[in-house]
Amino acid sequence: MSTHLLLAEGIAIQGEGVTIAPFSYLLGPGDRLTLLGETGSGKSLIAQAIMGTLPKGLRAEGRLVIDGERFDAADNASRRALWGHRLALLPQEPWHALDPTMRAVHQVAESHRHVAGRGRRDAMYAAWADLGELGLAEAGTKLPGELSGGMAQRVAFAAASAGGAPIVIADEPTKGLDAPRRDAVVELLARTPEAAGALLTITHDIDVARRLGGEVVILRQGQVVERGPAQQVLTHPQSEYGQRLLAAEPSRWPRPQPLGEQQAPVVNADGLAKTRGGRELFRDLSLTVSPGEIVGVVGPSGCGKSTLGDMLLGITSSDAGHVQRATGHPLGFQKLYQDPPAAFSPHWRLSRLLDDLIRRHRLDRAKILPLMMRLGLDERLLTRRPGEISGGELQRFAILRVLLLEPCFLFADEPTSRLDPITQRQTLELLVELARERHCGVMLVSHDPALVERICDKRISLDGTSSLTGRELDTAMA
Amino acid sequence: MSTLTLHPARRRLPALNGRQRLGATLLALLLAFAWLVPWLFDADPARQQLTRILQLPSLAEPLGTDHLGRSLLARLAAAVQLSLGMALLSVTTAAVPGVLLGVIAGWRGGWLDRVLGSLADACLALPGLLLVLLLVAIAPGNFWALYVGISLVLWIEYFRVVRARTRVLVTSPQLEASRLLGFGPLYLFRRHLWPELAPQVLTLAAFGAASAILAMAALGFVSVGLRPPTAELGLMMIELLPYYHEAPWAMAQPIVVLFVLVLSLNLLAGRDPR
Repeated sequence: MSTHLLLAEGIAIQGEGVTIAPFSYLLGPGDRLTLLGETGSGKSLIAQAIMGTLPKGLRAEGRLVIDGERFDAADNASRRALWGHRLALLPQEPWHALDPTMRAVHQVAESHRHVAGRGRRDAMYAAWADLGELGLAEAGTKLPGELSGGMAQRVAFAAASAGGAPIVIADEPTKGLDAPRRDAVVELLARTPEAAGALLTITHDIDVARRLGGEVVILRQGQVVERGPAQQVLTHPQSEYGQRLLAAEPSRWPRPQPLGEQQAPVVNADGLAKTRGGRELFRDLSLTVSPGEIVGVVGPSGCGKSTLGDMLLGITSSDAGHVQRATGHPLGFQKLYQDPPAAFSPHWRLSRLLDDLIRRHRLDRAKILPLMMRLGLDERLLTRRPGEISGGELQRFAILRVLLLEPCFLFADEPTSRLDPITQRQTLELLVELARERHCGVMLVSHDPALVERICDKRISLDGTSSLTGRELDTAMA
Repeated sequence: MSTLTLHPARRRLPALNGRQRLGATLLALLLAFAWLVPWLFDADPARQQLTRILQLPSLAEPLGTDHLGRSLLARLAAAVQLSLGMALLSVTTAAVPGVLLGVIAGWRGGWLDRVLGSLADACLALPGLLLVLLLVAIAPGNFWALYVGISLVLWIEYFRVVRARTRVLVTSPQLEASRLLGFGPLYLFRRHLWPELAPQVLTLAAFGAASAILAMAALGFVSVGLRPPTAELGLMMIELLPYYHEAPWAMAQPIVVLFVLVLSLNLLAGRDPR
């Protein structure tokens, strides 16, 4: 009867130091809306306000019309009856949303049975059909722990959409996925509008927004900076912030200054092999990292990128081959982590953690301040705890911590995959600059081939298939 | 760059919730009762006055007297002191080795983990109270037998919880990062493990104290625990039981005190999972 599926009028969120300015939109059948913005811009809260799952202490205002029915956004419980039937949410990091003790097909069948109200047999049948359609026919009997990130994403999608909800909200659906998986997820999401549903996607990935098309809204600190058709906003943004966001795409980065003459390698690996869980990750892999060199590692999720780095650091053992590390640097081999908060104990102030390090290794305090300035870290941040500063700041603090030890080799395991594009660019540019300056070899793992192409001197591609061995490729840097 | 802090600042010690505050208040009142009474009233819990048995509360004897004319006020205070002291002692002796062994087992893994795990399972194979009874039968009426028995039952909980948590934490990036930065095991325990373990250990400790008090009172009640004339809650109950008809108020007192004691500790321990 109505021409729109979802109408939001003046949705605003308030409380606990968060303010999201009133925001309105209209989604009809086949429409797609993408909210684009940096971490902490309040994107996810908008999705939660629609679903009625805002965290305690936050209050939504405004009016919602879902499928012709009116709701007050402040009344969280009112939309509960719509979950699965009218509204479906594809959560962030779906492997956390799946029941780890339940086989994939049962999780999908459960939605078919209890949300869509089918019989036991019908539900099972429908679940298998869904999985088959998503190319998961073999994964149905597996537990979530045995699925890759992309597969878990598709299972979660199947479970969330089993109720046939026309409005799908996807919250950071591509977080932590590599490029091919990301494209697969985008295709998956595009099914909803193709079937005359409405899709609301929340992402920090410009590429995802571009592929999805439709309308794009750029958010910053709870304010709408710019909105319009994807084509227009993502090619010729009017706002200053939109332009910066676009410039942060790896393909537009400036290339780093070339690496000078090659010096004796800091790490030399020869004939490495690793088999995990009966699957060969790589075989006969040889590589060297020179001081100041940036070596990029690309490959699909689960292909052993992190394992390779851990081997070079000496944390993990290899099945065959050997690793030779430069001598005279007992603390010279350091690592940067994918999820900055996970690499810190959340209970202590940063100043305390820094003090511990200084005292442990009798470091020179005078060196800290200039390095902090260099990394763009404000001294006031030190009075906070790891959970209280942004991911980008924390990653830069992690860089500060490892650089104080004057490392000769740094393994950066997707250090920016959880950061928004602008922060990612800042962080990686700094990392490359400092690595060159301090003659520190860096092995950078990334799921973004464009990024590796841009800043790395050398690229190693690990293919997931067991028959292939790692190849060392020189990029266009020559 | 500016950020939006979505989470309020994390406080060092989590604030007590309403229930926990009630528990803490009750416990504080009991502590005050146990330690202030002997100080303010010159009352000996063992002094018998056979001319004044089972008297109603009066100004001289605010809680009345028992069947041997002993001051119930003094006896209750002594009993609460004994119970709390015993609970504190058994909880400490159970928690310290429990946490240490749990950390060692979870950290080292391998054969050490298996040996310690089997040891804990062996202790767990005997029902807790039976183990205490066994020890009490070996050395009847002895304080140490009770104490060792209760501690032996309690340490396993700490061990298991700490081991499971440590196992996860040891492989976490935060520990790996600190290890790469050159920090030793003591530092890793202090900065990474203990802050994560402490809330669970303290919750277990409060529950453990309550069960230690209950175990002691139960043993006293079945007359295998401490011996008269010790003022002990279970013992007082069984001593006053024959007079429940003549002096119900006297019999009710140790019961109420025991109830409040266990309630306060359970309230203190019971925090919301989130």
